[in-house]
Amino acid sequence: MISGRGRGRIRPPRRGLTGHADNADFDALWDILRLALRQIHEKNASQLSFEQLYRASYKIVLKKQGNVLYDRVKEYEEQWFGSQVMPAIRKLITNNLVNITLGGVSGATANERRLTGEEFLNGLKASWEDHNTVMNMTTDVLMYMDRVYCTDNRKPSIFTTAMGLFRDHILRSRLSSIDSELVTFDILNSVVLDQISMEREGDIINKHLIRSCMYMLEGLYETDEETEHEKLYLTVFEVEFLKASSAFYQKECANLLREGDASAWLRQTKRRFAEEETRCQTTISPLTAPKIARVLEDRMIREHLSDFLAMEGSGIKAMIEHDRYTDLALLYQHISRVDTSKEPLKNALQSRAVGLGSEINKTILNTDSADAQVEDGGAVAGDSEKPKTQKISATARQTVAAIKWVDLVLQLKDKFDNMWKTCFDQDLILQTALTKSFADFINLFPRCSEYVSLFIDDNLKRGIKGKTEAEIDIVLDKATVLVQYIQDKDMFERYYKKHLARRLLLDRSESADVEKQMISRMKLEIGSSFTTKLEGMFKDISLSEDLSTGYRNYITNLGDADRNQIELSPRVLTSNYWPMESMGSASTIAEDGTRHGCIWPSEIQALQESFKAFYLKERNGRTLTWLGFLGNADIKCVFPKIPGKEGQLGKERRHEINVTTYGMIILLLFNGLDDGESLSFEEILEHTNIPQQNLAQLLYTLSVLPKCRVLNKQPPTKDVPKAGDHFSFNSSFASKSIKIKAPVISGSVNRVEGDEERKDTEDRNDEHRGSVIDTVIVRIMKARKVFSHQQLFTEVIAQLSQRFRPDINMVKRRVESLIEREYLARVEDAETPTYQYLA
Amino acid sequence: MATSTNGPQGLSKCVTLVSSDGFEFVVLREAACKSGAIKRMLDPKSNFAESTTGRCVFEEINGIILEKVAEYFCYSYKNRNTEQVPDMEIPPELCLELLMAADYLDGEYEYCQLSGHLLTDY
Repeated sequence: MISGRGRGRIRPPRRGLTGHADNADFDALWDILRLALRQIHEKNASQLSFEQLYRASYKIVLKKQGNVLYDRVKEYEEQWFGSQVMPAIRKLITNNLVNITLGGVSGATANERRLTGEEFLNGLKASWEDHNTVMNMTTDVLMYMDRVYCTDNRKPSIFTTAMGLFRDHILRSRLSSIDSELVTFDILNSVVLDQISMEREGDIINKHLIRSCMYMLEGLYETDEETEHEKLYLTVFEVEFLKASSAFYQKECANLLREGDASAWLRQTKRRFAEEETRCQTTISPLTAPKIARVLEDRMIREHLSDFLAMEGSGIKAMIEHDRYTDLALLYQHISRVDTSKEPLKNALQSRAVGLGSEINKTILNTDSADAQVEDGGAVAGDSEKPKTQKISATARQTVAAIKWVDLVLQLKDKFDNMWKTCFDQDLILQTALTKSFADFINLFPRCSEYVSLFIDDNLKRGIKGKTEAEIDIVLDKATVLVQYIQDKDMFERYYKKHLARRLLLDRSESADVEKQMISRMKLEIGSSFTTKLEGMFKDISLSEDLSTGYRNYITNLGDADRNQIELSPRVLTSNYWPMESMGSASTIAEDGTRHGCIWPSEIQALQESFKAFYLKERNGRTLTWLGFLGNADIKCVFPKIPGKEGQLGKERRHEINVTTYGMIILLLFNGLDDGESLSFEEILEHTNIPQQNLAQLLYTLSVLPKCRVLNKQPPTKDVPKAGDHFSFNSSFASKSIKIKAPVISGSVNRVEGDEERKDTEDRNDEHRGSVIDTVIVRIMKARKVFSHQQLFTEVIAQLSQRFRPDINMVKRRVESLIEREYLARVEDAETPTYQYLA
Repeated sequence: MATSTNGPQGLSKCVTLVSSDGFEFVVLREAACKSGAIKRMLDPKSNFAESTTGRCVFEEINGIILEKVAEYFCYSYKNRNTEQVPDMEIPPELCLELLMAADYLDGEYEYCQLSGHLLTDY
């Protein structure tokens, strides 16, 4: 088969068509066509026979005279434009329009300008539409020419040529009547731009009309090649439009800047974006939408962004302060247009977050120091008892302050979270930035670890009471978030362990379930290395419960009724899980560093032996140490009736007193005494070996505070017991309740540490960090054998930063010490400082 | 054929093709529009005489050829949605003239087919 078009085509024979009468024939045929063209232009085609015209053009082409026909048609069109179309258009171009185009000020009002402009556009549009219809019909009639002559000779189709003619003879025709370079095109541009600027000022214009003219420009090309990017719309109009818009918006932005209201700027910019978008859809061409948007971005946002952000009273600071969410949301949208990294917004948010955070830090620190001052003043001025109570209330206040700090931080966090959700489209970059700022200011606060742990402690003890599961979840979530922010995780762990230990041992925790949830959350967020010890503590507690039951059964099976008198609920604690020091064992360590236990009464010793036997039966090789400073005991006391007294005192009274283990030891001493006998402070100290400070406190609760005054103190002042005081059994003690809980002065409630305590904790923590750093260095060096100083430090810091903020000097000291201890050695002749691992 | 029934746009459903020697063939408008020339001839937008009357007179095509052309319009319209259609019977002696008619009426595909016929038959 032969392909349809091209040179291989079989031509119909020119039978009967060739001959001498060629020219005459052609002229006759052209006459038919010429007349027809005229009628078509005059919109009077219904009398024409298509077949006849088609046949005429068919014959001309077959006679190889397609070129002549082509040129004649072109010529005819040119003439038509010159004689009919252009004069009509020229009539529409008033002097006003020319003046506007030339940039001069026209005397006409906007309304007049609009009307003349519209008239002109209407005229142009009508002539374009006529031309289109006429040319469509002409092309139909001349189809055979297009199909055969134009394709064979690679000429643009007659339609394209005719469109080009419109471009050249109408749009690009000089306005000869006036002495200038102006062409119709310039007038068109300026009229359309004028109309658009009227619309920007708020007038209503005929969008549809302009759109039609733009369609015309979109349908015309620079050359007859008709390449896509050479549309007249793009090459002529759009350029001008963008230029004019750019100038317009530059001016508008300058005005807004002068007004000095960032909020108005945000709104105006948003409105303009929307307007231009609609304009592109309804008035000009969608092709321009991205370009005009870029112009707006440049002129309205990028150029003056920082000026607007810095505005006093309406800038970003005020937006954040006053929760102007709509403004912030707009700001976010605008900024994301011009800058994917959102740098300015990010910076502003960060500095605001850190600023507000630091304010919180400052307020809380101020309350702290104020309390400290009260404390000092009291100590100097008051007698020896008053400062004591004052001190307690001061620390209590500080504890409240700690929780307040956490609450404030959480409020701030909520504020920013809320903002992030409602205004910032949950942008990831901003989230990271905010997280970083929170971490920054939280870690700037020296007591963050302690305070966060206290907050959790408070919530687990009291806060969650009566809350639903969902509410508890929220609290836990918040707590976890804060924990994540803390850089010194080791410090936090230390405090958390301390607080947890108290909660577990004193049974203060509201719900074991919630405790476990908290742990598992931290495990998820921070890692299991952080929580193993905490989990160990839980395990110890539950194992201890089993042990108690087991021991009870064991005793029953022994059938030893005597031992049954004292019931024991042991808590066996694995020593490296529990923070012994911070639980109070520090006081049992003598100055020479040896631990000295208390002296247990014989009854208790027997009990201890019995339990030890039971415990070690199945767990060979373990050591049990009894910690007197922990635990408590219920003691049944019998107070004899006092002769000659009425009422309560006249009867025998039995009370069950709950005291600490130390308290029990003290009270048992008085068991062996006769009436009226007394023990001196020194004797008690000697018999019990309880650390002196603890002893004084305990005796204070038992002999001074009225709630459980089962001992008499000599002299009967309200001072803290000291050496030289004597104590005797207070047989006339009376109380309304059967069960009495001896008050506890300190140690059982989790509260803010005092300065000394804190220094202690920090020292211990530093010590611990030292060994952690050692381990990390040795681990790295063992793997690398030889490693440069720089690399080693980078690696060490990277590994440590998961746990705390490593101090470079500390790392240096540790390296020195490792070299001293011959784990490492410096490589002597290395270019850069390098270490070597010594196996 | 019912020439009076009207199509969607108020146009008659059928059109009449008239040969140079006066034979008339009534075919469906849609079928006749297979030809580019007839399609434009009947375009209501252009409003030529043919589009108003629905009569297309071909002064250079005789009845025999136009009959074949009309037959082809029907054949092609009937099979417009089917594949693997048997070839239409075309007597070899008509080929050349049909070829000319196809060129004139702007039936690209038909032109190719006819050229094929012509080449195999001669």
